Amino acid sequence: MNKLLLFCGSVALLHPLALAQNPDQTGNRNADIYKSVVRIESATQVADYRTPWNSGRFGGGTGSGFMIGPNQFLTNAHVVSNANRVLITRRGSAQKHPARVVHIAHDCDLALLEVENDAPFEGLHYLKFGDVPALESQVRVIGYPVGGDRISVTRGVVSRIDFRPYSHSRVDSHLVVQIDAAINPGNSGGPVLQDGKVAGVAFQGLRQADNTGYMIPTPVIQRFLKDIGDGRYDKYVDLGITEFALFNPAMRKALQVPEDGLGVMVASVLPTGPCDGVMEPGDVLLSIDNNPVDNAGNIEVEGEKVVLHEVVERKFAGDEVKLEFLRRGEKKDVTVTLKAFPHSRIYAVRYGERPRFVFFAGLVFQPLDFNLYSAYGFDSPRVRKIFQNYVRDALFKERKDVVVLTRVESDRLTSFITGFNGTVVDEINGTKVKDLRHAHELLYAADQPEFITIKCNGVVRPIVIPSAEVESANKRIMQQNGIFRSHYLGDSQPAS
Amino acid sequence: MFPTRPLFFCLALLLVVMVLPAPALAAAKAKGLLRINTTIQTYNVSQPWELNQPQRRRGLGAILEDGNILTTGEMAANSTYIEFESADGAHTVPAEVIAIDYEANLALLKPEKGANREWIDKLGTLGTNGPAKIDDKVNIWQFEDNGDAIRTEGTVRSVDLLSTFASGHYFLCYEVKASMQSASSSYTLPVTRNGRLLGILASYNSKDQISDVVAPDILKRFLEDVRDGRHEGFPSLGIATVLTEDPQFRKWLGLTDEQGGLYVSRLLPGSGADESGLKKGDVLLTVNGHAIDRRGYYEDPTYGRLVWSHLVRGSRQVGDKLALLIMRDGKEQQLEAVLRRPPDHLIPSHMYDKAPPYLIKGGLVFQELTRPYLEAFGKEWRSRAPLDLLDALNNPEDYEEGRKRLVFLSRVIRTPATIGYDQVNNLIVTEANGQKVTDMTSLAAALNNPKDGLHSIRIDDIPYVIYLDPEESDLVDKALLKRGLPALQRLP
Repeated sequence: MNKLLLFCGSVALLHPLALAQNPDQTGNRNADIYKSVVRIESATQVADYRTPWNSGRFGGGTGSGFMIGPNQFLTNAHVVSNANRVLITRRGSAQKHPARVVHIAHDCDLALLEVENDAPFEGLHYLKFGDVPALESQVRVIGYPVGGDRISVTRGVVSRIDFRPYSHSRVDSHLVVQIDAAINPGNSGGPVLQDGKVAGVAFQGLRQADNTGYMIPTPVIQRFLKDIGDGRYDKYVDLGITEFALFNPAMRKALQVPEDGLGVMVASVLPTGPCDGVMEPGDVLLSIDNNPVDNAGNIEVEGEKVVLHEVVERKFAGDEVKLEFLRRGEKKDVTVTLKAFPHSRIYAVRYGERPRFVFFAGLVFQPLDFNLYSAYGFDSPRVRKIFQNYVRDALFKERKDVVVLTRVESDRLTSFITGFNGTVVDEINGTKVKDLRHAHELLYAADQPEFITIKCNGVVRPIVIPSAEVESANKRIMQQNGIFRSHYLGDSQPAS
Repeated sequence: MFPTRPLFFCLALLLVVMVLPAPALAAAKAKGLLRINTTIQTYNVSQPWELNQPQRRRGLGAILEDGNILTTGEMAANSTYIEFESADGAHTVPAEVIAIDYEANLALLKPEKGANREWIDKLGTLGTNGPAKIDDKVNIWQFEDNGDAIRTEGTVRSVDLLSTFASGHYFLCYEVKASMQSASSSYTLPVTRNGRLLGILASYNSKDQISDVVAPDILKRFLEDVRDGRHEGFPSLGIATVLTEDPQFRKWLGLTDEQGGLYVSRLLPGSGADESGLKKGDVLLTVNGHAIDRRGYYEDPTYGRLVWSHLVRGSRQVGDKLALLIMRDGKEQQLEAVLRRPPDHLIPSHMYDKAPPYLIKGGLVFQELTRPYLEAFGKEWRSRAPLDLLDALNNPEDYEEGRKRLVFLSRVIRTPATIGYDQVNNLIVTEANGQKVTDMTSLAAALNNPKDGLHSIRIDDIPYVIYLDPEESDLVDKALLKRGLPALQRLP
């Protein structure tokens, strides 16, 4: 169970009532700020990976957002993920304005929206961004959380600034500011303010702790806005190395590292990543962009210790990074060019995608990713091992998709095909399967042998399907099981 | 088909049994039965240099005509002390093991040399019995605390191949329906028919009131095997098979509807099957003339439909020859296999009465992977045990090359030599100081030769290499010995 919890409520009807004016002296300024904080309603459709041909589950939720420019509304990605319809409501208004998602960044949980007709939002104040707030300083969280229909404001103190996981995608970690303000479902996407400026976007909390809220601080927001500046979100880039702390004196001696507290061991290099062919396991990274790296893999930025990957956090695909490292005692200087690493998204939660699948004679094939993995909870150690080592062992070089036989529908043709559910398909008719599209080609090839054989990883005998029976079996089983299409291979451009 | 080991009388001590005075009733007359008390100690899985707390186990043994006592293998396995006791508790005598068969779950015991066994000789003996039939009435024997024998009548319900002790080893058993009480928390009870020993009860499921009784055929094989004083064990062919029920699969294999057959999916290297020329992908049609059906059953002249492996494990001795009719590439072919003991496995399936090998260097703890190590991860061990080690258990053929055993770094004791390695555990070891690690002995030898003033140990996951300072780790080792570690290594 994920301990982080997203604050996207599925709550409440809007109740159009005039709101009282804020009586304090900053009233006018506050009133302007409040007006710029909007309520976002989204109607969602969440795919069911266990029946990929079906429409999935319809639902919805609400969140908050705020204006940062002309017809530009910032919110969390999770507020508008899987959304078919997005509506924005102004404070004190009953009108729901249809909106659309312009950019969505699942890796940092941010999204930019626009309304179809921005006339009703003209003249509103655009909120400005401030800096990362100091520890112990006060902030205000503004939004439309559960517990009422009107705008809500809570105050809190900054209690921690840390590099933490973002639960929306499950795999990404960025800078996070922890506050002790009560953040509740529906607060998501709302601004956290300090001195009238945005210090962050409220986005997640801790399930097991009260009054612990997290916000996305401005460096992460600014990066997102800069990334989409060219009209496209290119995602975060990765250095593509895993480090192992050099705390052990014998290990330092073996790697010929001076005893000055500097240097972290490179334990693995991501195949095809930016450092592939440049660094190798056993190298010792000494500095990154001239920031000395300590034995634990940390660098010092503005007096704070942060992990060395912080340097890469602020950069974009195509940017360069200077690395200084030791190899067998010899110092080396290199500059590597950063790039996105799409293969590691196999471990990220996917949103807004229709699940791909191939149906063939009662057998259902699907590509392995986190959504599929969590939908089926595969217990075969072989599938778990292939999933776990997909990136580390560069399995993506041979298999763009790991094709899994997920279901065997009941039929007279399949009644003795047991023990194959949840296994990885290695070969079809003796050919290694590269991805789902390839599997589809092999299964539905025009000139099939008398028997189509499917070899699954770790299963000792092949599945055998007489090709003469495929057509009638497809028709029969699809009708029996309400499967109205035989495959979905994705758009011609692979979804990102 | 193969029930898991049920809860066996362990609640007995907690139950209050109301004993009503019944002076008019005479206790059943028992012959050739005595109590066996054993003290059992197993090794600690995570600290293999230590034994776990001792446990006690009670059961009954059958005194055979030659004066030896037969009981289950489970009673005697891992025992540090065994004694015989008369039903009334008046006599005890220390016992010793003649032979234990963990696979078939049988053990033959005798009183210690020179001990007084006169009282045992007065208890009488039990002759062995021939096979039973379905619906035969049998007696199951227990002792009350006061020494009275309890006789429970049961009925043989079915005959099947079951694994009653060492996992993965299936032997002929009778399933006997009988409603038993718990008495003196006894494991292992003799079962008789017409006053002769029929079998040994290995487990009882109180919910279904079904007990699994090791069949007389298996008792007979075991006693024949140990008659010469040497216990060889039950033979094995050394293959894994898949059923051929799937009609599509059968067509692809070229099998007709009249044929049965088992698809050979794996041959253990060095097994009788391996030497016979049998290949993966062959279909086994008959064994010694008995046709094997598509589910792996044959027609046994005594018991009817039985799983084919009884033809090997329950009916033959090591060294016997077996005639195999197989189908290969659509043609039938005759092969002959000599039966052997199952070949040594990369990952032993059990470690009864064996001390697990280990080695400690500077605080790094190395072990050889065994199935019990993984089973110690609890009831859900198949999902909770470390993934790489589970994979090795499930697919040993991917790890066998160049290895006798799978050595792994099981844990790291926090010492001055292992700073920074605290989080490392359960990683497969491939090399030490440049030498390939094939078992614990090879690791020990490699660690005698540090290279360039350092030990380097190569493992299969991050950090991939672990370094130790030889002087520092020797100091740590000495300190560990001083602080109560009995030895730094136990080699096989």
